[in-house]
Amino acid sequence: MVSNENEYVLVCKDISKAFGGTQALKSVQLKIKPGEVHALMGENGAGKSTLMKIVIGLYKQDSGSMTFEGKPYQAKGPVDAIKAGIAMIHQELNPEPHLSIADNIFLKREDTVCGIFLNKKKQNDRANEILRQFSFPYESTTLIKELTLAQVQMIEIIKAVSSDARLIIMDEPTSSLDSEETAHLFRVINDLKSKGVAIIYISHRMNEIFEICDQVSVFRDGMYIGSKPIADVSRHDLIEMMVGRKVENVFPKIDCEIGDVVFEARGLTGKGFSNINFKVRAGEILGISGLVGSGRSETMRAIFGLDSYESGKIFLNGKEIRIKSPADAIAKGICMVNEDRKNFGLCLLRSLRENISLPNLPKHQPHLLIDQAREKRECEDVAKKLTVKAASIEHTAYSLSGGNQQKVVISKWIMANPKLLILDEPTRGVDVGAKAEIHALMCQFAAKGMAVIMISSELPEVMSMSDRILVYHEGRIGGEILRSEILSESVTEKDILAKAFGGVSG
Amino acid sequence: MSKKFIVCLLIFVLALGLVACGQTEKPAADDAATESKADAPAARVGDVNGDGKIVVGYISKNLTDPFHAPINSYAETTLEQMKKDGVIDSWTGILDGETDPNKQIDRADECITKSADYVIILPAEAEASDPAVTKLVDAGIKVIVVNSKTVSTDEKAIAYCGSNDVEAGRMLANWVLENVPNGGKYVHCTGVLGNSAQLERGQGIKEIMDKHPEFEMVGEPDTQWSGDKCANATTDAIAQYGSELVAIIADNDDMSSAAQRAANDAGRSDIICIGVDGNQNPLQMVKNGELGATVLQDGVGQLTAGIEVIKASIEGREFDKEPVIPFVLVTSENVGQYLD
Amino acid sequence: MIENIKISRKNNDALKRFMGNYGIGVVLIIMMVAIGIMEPSFATKNNFINVAAQVSINGMIAYGMCLAITTGGIDLSVGAQLALTSCVLGQTITNMNMNIWLSCLIALAVSTAFGCLNGILIAKFNMFPFVVTLSTQLVIRGLSQVISSGKAISLTSMEFKGIYSNKLLSIPVPIVMLFVVTIVMYLLLHWTVFGRYIFAVGGNVNAAIASGVSEFKTKVGVYTVSGLLAGVAAIIFTAKTGSAQSNIGIGYETDAVAACVLGGTSFAGGIATIPGVLMGIFIIGFIYNGMNLIGVSSYYQSIVKGCVIIGAVLLDMLMNKKNQ
Ligand SMILES: Nc1ncnc2c1ncn2[C@@H]1O[C@H](COP(=O)(O)OP(=O)(O)OP(=O)(O)O)[C@@H](O)[C@H]1O
Ligand SMILES: [Mg+2]
Repeated sequence: MVSNENEYVLVCKDISKAFGGTQALKSVQLKIKPGEVHALMGENGAGKSTLMKIVIGLYKQDSGSMTFEGKPYQAKGPVDAIKAGIAMIHQELNPEPHLSIADNIFLKREDTVCGIFLNKKKQNDRANEILRQFSFPYESTTLIKELTLAQVQMIEIIKAVSSDARLIIMDEPTSSLDSEETAHLFRVINDLKSKGVAIIYISHRMNEIFEICDQVSVFRDGMYIGSKPIADVSRHDLIEMMVGRKVENVFPKIDCEIGDVVFEARGLTGKGFSNINFKVRAGEILGISGLVGSGRSETMRAIFGLDSYESGKIFLNGKEIRIKSPADAIAKGICMVNEDRKNFGLCLLRSLRENISLPNLPKHQPHLLIDQAREKRECEDVAKKLTVKAASIEHTAYSLSGGNQQKVVISKWIMANPKLLILDEPTRGVDVGAKAEIHALMCQFAAKGMAVIMISSELPEVMSMSDRILVYHEGRIGGEILRSEILSESVTEKDILAKAFGGVSG
Repeated sequence: MSKKFIVCLLIFVLALGLVACGQTEKPAADDAATESKADAPAARVGDVNGDGKIVVGYISKNLTDPFHAPINSYAETTLEQMKKDGVIDSWTGILDGETDPNKQIDRADECITKSADYVIILPAEAEASDPAVTKLVDAGIKVIVVNSKTVSTDEKAIAYCGSNDVEAGRMLANWVLENVPNGGKYVHCTGVLGNSAQLERGQGIKEIMDKHPEFEMVGEPDTQWSGDKCANATTDAIAQYGSELVAIIADNDDMSSAAQRAANDAGRSDIICIGVDGNQNPLQMVKNGELGATVLQDGVGQLTAGIEVIKASIEGREFDKEPVIPFVLVTSENVGQYLD
Repeated sequence: MIENIKISRKNNDALKRFMGNYGIGVVLIIMMVAIGIMEPSFATKNNFINVAAQVSINGMIAYGMCLAITTGGIDLSVGAQLALTSCVLGQTITNMNMNIWLSCLIALAVSTAFGCLNGILIAKFNMFPFVVTLSTQLVIRGLSQVISSGKAISLTSMEFKGIYSNKLLSIPVPIVMLFVVTIVMYLLLHWTVFGRYIFAVGGNVNAAIASGVSEFKTKVGVYTVSGLLAGVAAIIFTAKTGSAQSNIGIGYETDAVAACVLGGTSFAGGIATIPGVLMGIFIIGFIYNGMNLIGVSSYYQSIVKGCVIIGAVLLDMLMNKKNQ
């Protein structure tokens, strides 16, 4: 290219990186202009997060160089990067649970008196000010562990934005945000853009890319494929660049025969939800929509036995059951993919094989000693079905890309073959291709007579996949929408949003 | 990464280097051995196992107790000197018994592996350390037990060099009788329960005190040879019994000196505290007039007797199979003799 | 993707994984060769048999400790368990004239029960393992003093002492016991569902619970096994010393923890291998034995021991990192 290097804030040149046997990046390029929102796209495991971690100094590249604001740049660690003016919101959230919001926001750049003592008061006040700018509904002294996943995500965003960085990397920032919060984030991004801050935006949600980004760079299998202004590409082009072949964008829902009621909740009340009544039938996919924090996940956690509920009854196949722990639930045929895969989904340091077989051991391994050959075969089969990208199932879950970790979580529950499968944000961080596959799997299960409950903050996903949608509003079910209403377009995205906000559609 | 790898290897080599430094004098010993073999073609009397070398093993009780420190260092200098003089060919170095019979048995294994001819052992326990003695004797090694006996010492060891702990206990009690003729309440602070020194000293104390009804024992706290614990027990007793408390008898003098200090600090320097051993700190206090007396167990004397046995055996002389090394009552009059 | 793994890559990976898991074996071999060169009497059959018999006590304790550490905890009560079991043996065999095998069973039952108690306190009330076992340790040692009234009880039964000194097919019994326990523990940790649950609970409790694992049962199981193994160690100990007393086993948790750490057991939980711990056990054994044979002054021995442990762990960590 003839263009002057100086017109870019960040230039990455010929970066390569290998982890043991896996070549995560092969001589990739990336050039970011000031004030631009630059989308970085690619399938799960394409190497996006790896490149970003190299930029902020968490990993060191095997070869290649970088310049930041025209000068050669190499960070030795995140602190270095923040000092240079680069902040990152990680895909896998990692704030300190026992620290307050203020402490987290100012971590590693604390306000100090004489360089030793923390100036708590000043720090809390400043944090409160920042929180108010983002209309975040908590005091700065609240502990992180009291927040929901989405709120933690917001804090991470606030932390990065408030660091006065000239380049902010957002690795799937919206994966656990609802539409309202996402809209809020976009306002913040536009604001930053007008101040000349560059943003690298990683997401698997096409809509967002087209809504907010200016330029897109695509990676595939650790290789750089190309970079184009967003105005010059269509969805199909983009997917083709990512996957390298033509792919159907969305998986069309297959309507299955809907049978008897498999599961019923009557007057379920607990922390965060009250008087919840619903039924799911065999072959039915029940979508659950609503704002983050509206009690959707809490209800499901209670049904699965992770939390307890105060009153109400639940029935499986018409019989009342009591569930005291997830072990009970699994034994009775209720399984749940948790939205928080890092804390409730995976043992990151153990192998994929052990992770996938963990909930299935009592059923699949009746003998004293585990039949490792059988275990390996079964786990490889499900992993293959979900196209988990890993060199072998003996690798640790930690070494997988975010989207592939999600596939592993789903694999373990698919192997369990339950009567009722609860999926909380099942396609969080999953690329287009795999998303379609997960949707296809959901339909397959429904066809086999399984009842499926799917919580999703992505409205298009809920609307395309569900036979019926329940909309949560402040811990109660605020409305029910049938598939026929969506197909006949008598109910639109807007109506669902309105219900989620508690308004009456119309 | 490979750089770090090398650094790490270096650390490891360094560690092994440390191991090696313990060995530096060994080749010399080997030379001496070959020389002496050339000089004396016939097997020597002291070469018990007949391999041409006289090797002495030394299994300590521990390396941490102040009572054992001078004994160990005396062993080191003396055996080193004997090696230089050609009396013996080599010795094992001080093997650490860690006050643990299990470890002492393991150390005995090593003496056997090193084909020792004589082994000096200071047992940690009468009963539990006995397998170490038995094992050594069964391997044809001549064992000299020092300081305290194990159960089969009389039968198996070639000599026992020690003192009579019951006697020490009597000396403690008698000192209290002399200094508090009117009687009163006293506390007996014990060593680690079950230890033979604790048992026998306690027996001696009881023997005397039982004959004197004017004395009442008001407590027997398990102070585990620890000065700190004994000081706490002392302050507790002062608080509880006030002026009625007249004496603290402790199984060792680390404890009695700590007790005296606590009593002095509480303004009760009239309380008589006494214990056994003759460690440097209590001796210093006796010298300064802070502590009335202490009963010295002559550990170095015991070991000296043990080494004499070895020398005699090597030279084919007769020796006393059970020399008794007396305890010494150290007061301000004779303390100068025992202070370093 | 899983289907297109090249064969060569696969083999390479397997080798690297093996090195990652058992790199400590290299340390062990370097150490043995180095000591062997410095002191020829080290590399004799008799000496190896001695060491193997010596490490059997620490070995039993270390395996139990390894399970506790793998679940993210620790068992500090093992030393006291040793004392209590020993005193129970002394009481039943010497003072009550019981059949030795029956009394071994009783002793094991006692140590297992206290292990179980540890587990229940830790899992049921969600207390820190460090605090729980630090406290039960005092209770257990206190009980052993009560049982023995602080005195040493001598065990004269040759049959009982034979547990340490007898030979089975010319191999000393404690070595046979260590061998059997190693195999059993290997199967338990790496081949059973319970073992998987231990790793899961240690790796990520929340994810384990959400996968239907009972944290309670797993932790209680782990500390129970630790208690049982401490009991086995105590039988060997008592048979070896021929005496039961309440002051034994003080500080024994240190060597056990060291062996676990050397063997690659992660203090963060979720990672451990039994072969690794076995090698750690032998490294500790060879450090003692080797240094004494070479004639390192005992005053320097603990410095060397500390350096070797840190050096070995560092080396192992770097090898692991390289393989990532
Ligand atoms: N620490 C690690 N150790 C080993 N392999 C790793 C490690 N981190 C990443 N990888 C591998 O590098 C490749 C790229 O991973 P990366 O996380 O960059 O993907 P990604 O593009 O961010 O995917 P996703 O959209 O799923 O987040 C993957 O194959 C992954 O398995
Ligand atoms: Mg990623």
